[in-house]
Amino acid sequence: MSEKPPSGPLARLGEEFDKAQAERRPARKTGGNPGMQQGLALGLRIGVELVTAVVVSVGVGWAIDRWLGTRPWVMLVMFFLGIAAGMLNVYRAVTGAGGAVGYHQRASKDASAPPAKRNWDDEDC
Amino acid sequence: MTIELHPLAQFTVERILPLRVGQIDVSFTNAALMMAIIVCLITALIVFGTRRASLVPGRLQSVAEISYEFVADMVESNVGPEGLPYFPFVFSLFMFILFSNLLGLIPYSFTVTGQIIVTFALALTVFIGVTIIGFIKHGLHFLRFFVPEGVPIVLLVILVPIEVLSYFIRPFTLSIRLFANMLAGHTMLGIFAGFAAIIGIFAIFPIAIDVVLLALELLVATLQAYVFAILSCLYLNDAIHMH
Repeated sequence: MSEKPPSGPLARLGEEFDKAQAERRPARKTGGNPGMQQGLALGLRIGVELVTAVVVSVGVGWAIDRWLGTRPWVMLVMFFLGIAAGMLNVYRAVTGAGGAVGYHQRASKDASAPPAKRNWDDEDC
Repeated sequence: MTIELHPLAQFTVERILPLRVGQIDVSFTNAALMMAIIVCLITALIVFGTRRASLVPGRLQSVAEISYEFVADMVESNVGPEGLPYFPFVFSLFMFILFSNLLGLIPYSFTVTGQIIVTFALALTVFIGVTIIGFIKHGLHFLRFFVPEGVPIVLLVILVPIEVLSYFIRPFTLSIRLFANMLAGHTMLGIFAGFAAIIGIFAIFPIAIDVVLLALELLVATLQAYVFAILSCLYLNDAIHMH
């Protein structure tokens, strides 16, 4: 606003926009502002994750039992598998591995992955 | 009158225009009406918001631009530039859920996302779409998703079913989360509104609580739309960038 270069005010404004955006982009990549928002979103995710896993797997187990006539067994197995799957989902959501299934996603990509993921790999073996 | 006061009465689907194709009931219901309104409103927002695009945006243009940038940013930071082809889908998803959550808060309207079948259909669309994208990008290699690396064979017998299960549970968690939040919030509002209708002069207290709850529900409505969209992005990210 203070000075007007020959390229005209509009072009100058465009340049300023570009500059501002270029400055803002890296800051956002490293996870800048949305701490509160993401925390809330994560918190709301966790509760449902665990419950649904158990309920759905028990339901599927019950249905398979009814279908095959193997009354309690599939349901029992599915119950424990459901708990494990639910825990796994919650663990992944909390450690920041996203909704990922599979261990090998970001760990192999960059060496600077959060240490939590490598600990998990170690425990696992 | 007692029916009116029931806190769950607001979720009943009613036929507005009874229609039947063969054996299938395809009536135009209040849910369908609400969805049509939502789609029209979103379209109107984007069309009128971008029609006279000016350098200094007006109110409508601001809203359109903010929502566009918000979702574009979300896709880019969660999936990366490879995710941008899927931006239109995530944007439609986000806007639809956001609008149905927010419009559902208006008294006497209908909350579409309070119906499990609606949220489940949305979640299943995401799930099937993401799975297909995964198979297209990686072929049968996508199945390695379920096999953790560097694990002894004996453990694989247990781990693979767990991985498969935790993958197939995704559409359920995605849909139940949204549905349960909407159902619980609106039921709570309905209960307090029901109190207000019965107790005469003291109705001021439940109404005050409802006002506060409404603010909370506004937060939940936007946050749930955000959660749904961001989880879709994360699932998409998994399918595109598996290593």
